Amino acid sequence: MAELLKIEHLNVKVGNKEILKDLSLSIPEGQIHAIMGPNGCGKSTLSKVIVGDPAYVVTSGSITFKGKDLLKMSADERANEGVFLAFQHPVELPGVGMALLLKTAINAKRKYLGQEAMDAVQFMKHMKIRATALGITDEMLKRPVNVGFSGGEQKRLETFQMAMLEPDFCILDEMDSGLDVDALKVVGKAVSVMREAKRSFIIITHHDDLLKYVKPDAVSIMRRGTVVKTGGPELVKLIEEQGYDAIG
Amino acid sequence: MTPLANPFLLLNKDGVEVQHPDDASWIFNVSKNGCLDACFLQFDADLSVIVNLNNENAKCDLKCIYLTNKNNKININIQVLHKSKKTISKQQIKGLATDQAQVNFNGQIVIPKNSQNCDGMQSHRGILLSDKAVISATPQLEIWADDVKCAHGSAIGPLPHEQLFYLETRGVDKASAQKLLLSSFFNDIIPDDFEQSVQQWMDENV
Ligand SMILES: Nc1ncnc2c1ncn2[C@@H]1O[C@H](COP(=O)(O)OP(=O)(O)OP(=O)(O)O)[C@@H](O)[C@H]1O
Ligand SMILES: [Mg+2]
Repeated sequence: MAELLKIEHLNVKVGNKEILKDLSLSIPEGQIHAIMGPNGCGKSTLSKVIVGDPAYVVTSGSITFKGKDLLKMSADERANEGVFLAFQHPVELPGVGMALLLKTAINAKRKYLGQEAMDAVQFMKHMKIRATALGITDEMLKRPVNVGFSGGEQKRLETFQMAMLEPDFCILDEMDSGLDVDALKVVGKAVSVMREAKRSFIIITHHDDLLKYVKPDAVSIMRRGTVVKTGGPELVKLIEEQGYDAIG
Repeated sequence: MTPLANPFLLLNKDGVEVQHPDDASWIFNVSKNGCLDACFLQFDADLSVIVNLNNENAKCDLKCIYLTNKNNKININIQVLHKSKKTISKQQIKGLATDQAQVNFNGQIVIPKNSQNCDGMQSHRGILLSDKAVISATPQLEIWADDVKCAHGSAIGPLPHEQLFYLETRGVDKASAQKLLLSSFFNDIIPDDFEQSVQQWMDENV
């Protein structure tokens, strides 16, 4: 299988604090890769570095995506190349409606790829199908992005954005935390439906809840800012039963 | 609301006497039960507004949007005088400055001793689009009556980095992200008639 994302010997700092240390990880096309690890080990930091958050400084190492140097690209270029992050803590955008955000985003990507813009009718159709499937109401679409939504609703809306933008590489940062059983099924279904031969996912999680609906092909365990072990789905069970001390 | 000769002013003025001593200055005398509803759109231009709420139940609802760039220095002065009891005022001012522009905003609400049961509100938000732009706001509240409501607030700063970054992770480039956030910033106070001119100014200057 061809490699989609390859991270080699990555070191990342915020201010003087080293957060990621000599981290390597490789994700082939079509893979669902779960990442687990204790609070504060650097899972969200890794996600944000991949999408290009300027708050984090890469001091050494490399990230290649589809063979291109991701670290040379701005955040919007990375998104338009197909990288997407469903945030653990999404940002509120007062005054910006979800439909406007998504229409702007979809057409930014089309422009980047030299394609024609999606017209209003196509867009409404594209949105309607996905909103219905994910239980997103018209009222939720009209409200400003992430403002005043419950934690669970925010995660459902992040998943909805992923479904709308159809990225090649999706990172879901704790999409299952704080979700009720029905919402969990919805997120699981979204991933299953989107699963394709060339599309890969990183699913960051603390539990096996979501992984019951989406079977990971590989599992990596992070501790103290680095990946300490990569293996198969059996690692999830081991962690559930014995905790992180079962591994390095 | 009806636009006046000045294309950047919208006005509703039941029971209001209007004086316009020069291009930048307006004086409004609001009489009993009168209601002034005005929105000023200032492109690189000074503004001085005095509103006299002269009699009971006089009301004013003022909105002001300012946009300035280059080396421009502008002064926005708004003074609301609650000259009678039971008068109500509301001011909402939003603006942006870029390049080396400087904005001085002075907003004054005066409620004298005998003007009981008044309600005055002023809010100002300014966005700085460059490190060298400056917006300073001096709210002046002179409240002498004791049974009144008065609220004011001012916030000045750049567009929030987290918001810009979130939009960028959705594929929107920095310049477009700025424009999107700015249009939504003005969205709650801008009348439809002004939307196009503000958009055009931003397209040309941001
Ligand atoms: N901007 C920042 N400034 C300072 N420290 C930071 C910053 N971002 C992250 N850190 C620190 O880096 C470490 C890793 O944080 P991160 O959010 O990546 O952890 P995580 O693995 O996602 O944890 P959780 O499971 O709780 O979500 C933590 O100790 C955190 O305090
Ligand atoms: Mg986290």
